[in-house]
Amino acid sequence: MEPHDHESTHGAHDHPHAEPGASERPGYYDMMETALRELLIERKLVDPAEFRRQIEVLDSRTPALGAKVVARAWVDPAFRERLLANGRAACEECGISSYDETELIVLENTDKVHNLIVCTLCSCYPRPVLGLPPDWYKLKAYRSRAVIEPRTLLAEFGTVIPDSVEVRVSDSTALVRYLVLPKRPEGTEHFTEEELASLVTRDAMIGVIPVTANQGST
Amino acid sequence: MNQSEELLKRLPNDIGGLPAGPFQRIEHELLPWEKRCHALADVLDFHKIINTEEKRRGVEALGGEIVGQLSYYERWLDAFANILFAKGIIAPSDFARKMDEVAARWEDGLPGAPASSTT
Amino acid sequence: MWGKDLRVIADKAGVVLALGEEPTFHEGDKVRVLNRSPIGHYRVPRYLRGKEALIESVIEPRALDNEEEAYGRNAGSKRHYYRIAVPMTEIWPNYAGSKNDGLRIEVFESWLERR
Repeated sequence: MEPHDHESTHGAHDHPHAEPGASERPGYYDMMETALRELLIERKLVDPAEFRRQIEVLDSRTPALGAKVVARAWVDPAFRERLLANGRAACEECGISSYDETELIVLENTDKVHNLIVCTLCSCYPRPVLGLPPDWYKLKAYRSRAVIEPRTLLAEFGTVIPDSVEVRVSDSTALVRYLVLPKRPEGTEHFTEEELASLVTRDAMIGVIPVTANQGST
Repeated sequence: MNQSEELLKRLPNDIGGLPAGPFQRIEHELLPWEKRCHALADVLDFHKIINTEEKRRGVEALGGEIVGQLSYYERWLDAFANILFAKGIIAPSDFARKMDEVAARWEDGLPGAPASSTT
Repeated sequence: MWGKDLRVIADKAGVVLALGEEPTFHEGDKVRVLNRSPIGHYRVPRYLRGKEALIESVIEPRALDNEEEAYGRNAGSKRHYYRIAVPMTEIWPNYAGSKNDGLRIEVFESWLERR
């Protein structure tokens, strides 16, 4: 069951969702999705094959794609330059299409700038290269605080940025999406590109945590 | 500015910089219906039946109470229904009849998900 | 994508650009976010209204006004979005972080004026 902002009364969600294959009826919204889709299919406005295909598209988009792009940028300076000049085109070089027609700007973390991404108005997120966003990214606390107190918000993730480094918050509102290119951690000079990619987490590419030389989790 | 004017001038989702509750680093794996809802939204946008910006406006237009009580993908579905009704693509009565039809697939303890759910 | 040169090159070739083909603003321009109050739908947050900013980059390609897209407009005239840079101290009078901190956001051309 999806988490809510704290002011929600959860009134509509006290019934459990049915397990697949069970004889218990699914929840209201589960059935609503089915109903709307079938009505649209009956009117030949939605093609069931295209819909099934889109589920596969979504399943194929995970943070592992972004991690590969980051690792490649770390080892290949010419690719890094192309990535920073045009994120969408560089991702397309790696086979990562922008299925939603969004552009991509890659934001490089340096000794002078630490980047953080947010969508204060809704939940814009670089889905083609990272998959779907976590709940916390979509909920009020992150969205309202990222633009007014990014440093205390970062501290909630255990990330402390020195005052001498600019914290730069990018708020997505239109057709551009953002991906943070985190700093390559110390002590990884001998790592292969694959090993580097395994260190890069989704949260590092949102900008809330750094990449460390220990195995990444989420 | 009085309160009712402020309600119009600030959308319920325009919360950058406003006081918010404590941050919670929560996430959940999408339920199958939520993923289907997301895929449906993408297909509706590809065909410009409901483009992504229309969906955003549709969610905003649900108003503060519904936005506060419904979860993320529940809001999308409510917005889709409203927009499809407004465009005359589906009538509310079509929706009501279809919901009854879908619900009836689980009556009398029929086992398994119905054949039509994703085909 | 041609920046300030587009008009110059076009003029030399005797070519007149259509309205909106050339970006109105260029990298480095000083701008202000307008202070108007739409209702129904908008994509420029309240916290940004009336703030002074710099154009960091011109976003290509030109695109539809997303505030009109929201009402079902799927084609038609396109203009530029701009990635603008705003210091945090410009947005929040009592900003508690470093005075170096900044915000970036994309704004449609019709929301900006030169200062």
